[in-house]
Amino acid sequence: MRRDLVEAASRGDHEAFEVLATSAVDRLYAVARLILRSAELADDAVQEALVRAWQQLPGLRDPDRFDAWLYRLVVNACADQGRQLRRWSAEVRPLAIETAIADETGSVADREQLERGFIRLRPEQRAVIVLHYYSGFSAAEIARMLGIPEGTARSRLHYATEALRAALQADARQPSAANNRIA
Amino acid sequence: MPTDRKLDQTISQWLEADAPRQLPDRVLRTTFDRTRRTKQQGRWRALLRRLDTMNRTFLALGGAGVIVIAAATVFSLGSRPSGSVGGSAPPTTAPPSQTPAATRSPAPTVAPGVPVGSFVLWSGKVPMTVTIPASGWFGTPADGILTKNDSADAPDGAGLIVFDSDVYVYGQPCKWLTTRPATASATADAFVASIGAQEVRGASPPVDITLDGHAGKSITVRAPIDAKFADCDQGTYGRWVTEAETTPGRYSQSPGQIDKLWVLDVDGQLVVIDTAYYDGTPKAVVDEMDAIVASMTFE
Repeated sequence: MRRDLVEAASRGDHEAFEVLATSAVDRLYAVARLILRSAELADDAVQEALVRAWQQLPGLRDPDRFDAWLYRLVVNACADQGRQLRRWSAEVRPLAIETAIADETGSVADREQLERGFIRLRPEQRAVIVLHYYSGFSAAEIARMLGIPEGTARSRLHYATEALRAALQADARQPSAANNRIA
Repeated sequence: MPTDRKLDQTISQWLEADAPRQLPDRVLRTTFDRTRRTKQQGRWRALLRRLDTMNRTFLALGGAGVIVIAAATVFSLGSRPSGSVGGSAPPTTAPPSQTPAATRSPAPTVAPGVPVGSFVLWSGKVPMTVTIPASGWFGTPADGILTKNDSADAPDGAGLIVFDSDVYVYGQPCKWLTTRPATASATADAFVASIGAQEVRGASPPVDITLDGHAGKSITVRAPIDAKFADCDQGTYGRWVTEAETTPGRYSQSPGQIDKLWVLDVDGQLVVIDTAYYDGTPKAVVDEMDAIVASMTFE
């Protein structure tokens, strides 16, 4: 059924495309917002990704790759948003931390340090972190999705994860640092 | 110091807690408003979606001149897109669409050429990775197509495309409407025999090859330089078609087009790598294509 929708959309069927987009957009938005750490930028990234998807859908060679292809478009759109601003790290702000939520993440300090470490990552590193730890894709799947060698995906994931580990370790050494929010 | 498992859990839970649940409706409405007023790109244009080639000849002529091919899975899209490379879309179809001026969509992003080095060429049934030996090659990762200097057009362009499904080789390229065989070529030997027999002026003798440990054959075919494509069925010089298509999945773009075909059986699946070029294509570019194919590794 989904393949039929992709094929119909690739032939110019707007309704089919909108069904597909609607079914995928929330998870794409989550990925974009987690990567960009900004609702406004994520709005723009998702919109650009979906417009590109519509335009370029006739070029999708395998309809079964539609979902992975959408992720790639969103990740690329996130990178474009960052490049357009030219201030990727400085411009974006952390998502609001809802301290009332008592999840299993650990302390608020941990979350703030993760945020701090994450914002220091390059966009491509942020993308693999989000696709792996949030979306649940393996390094091999991310590599195929983004069109990069698997070794590159593994390397990015390793480096980014270690950077986040270092951020948490820094927090352990400097408990008061948790109060130093990145604006 | 967090253990790996604890760290993984911490990161996952942090992201999950921060993730928004829903895209604002207004964004989706605005998006669909844009797509409703935006035309889709033709297949070849879309395949090379980084190109800023609105004024290119192949677009203006509805795809005549571009080379490449289209992998079997590509053709399952069904429609006859315009502007594809040796793929589908005969010149008689509508010209490739472009984003109309009315849309608020920005100009397509122009991506740089493929970096020299390892490149994931295709991620279909038979995924493959190649090494790009020189600058100037363009393509989108995993889409199975490369072109040199952003052009696969006659008289001097060059392009490469992969297929990984069974195909029906027409008996006569110019009379493809009535010469589709009853059975598909499912092996390298069958494909080579069919494509060799298709040539009215004779294909090159098949040559045994081995790519990444997989044995196969190479054979070169050429559209006659004096062929009049306009006189062919639907103006198209069709080479072959896949199960899902009713019109040629692969056709020659211009008279004189040369297709060096690398045909393999990879774990029981027919794989065809088509390197297409012209007499005017620099030998160095053809050599680069050969090197790309020679570097191919299959998962």
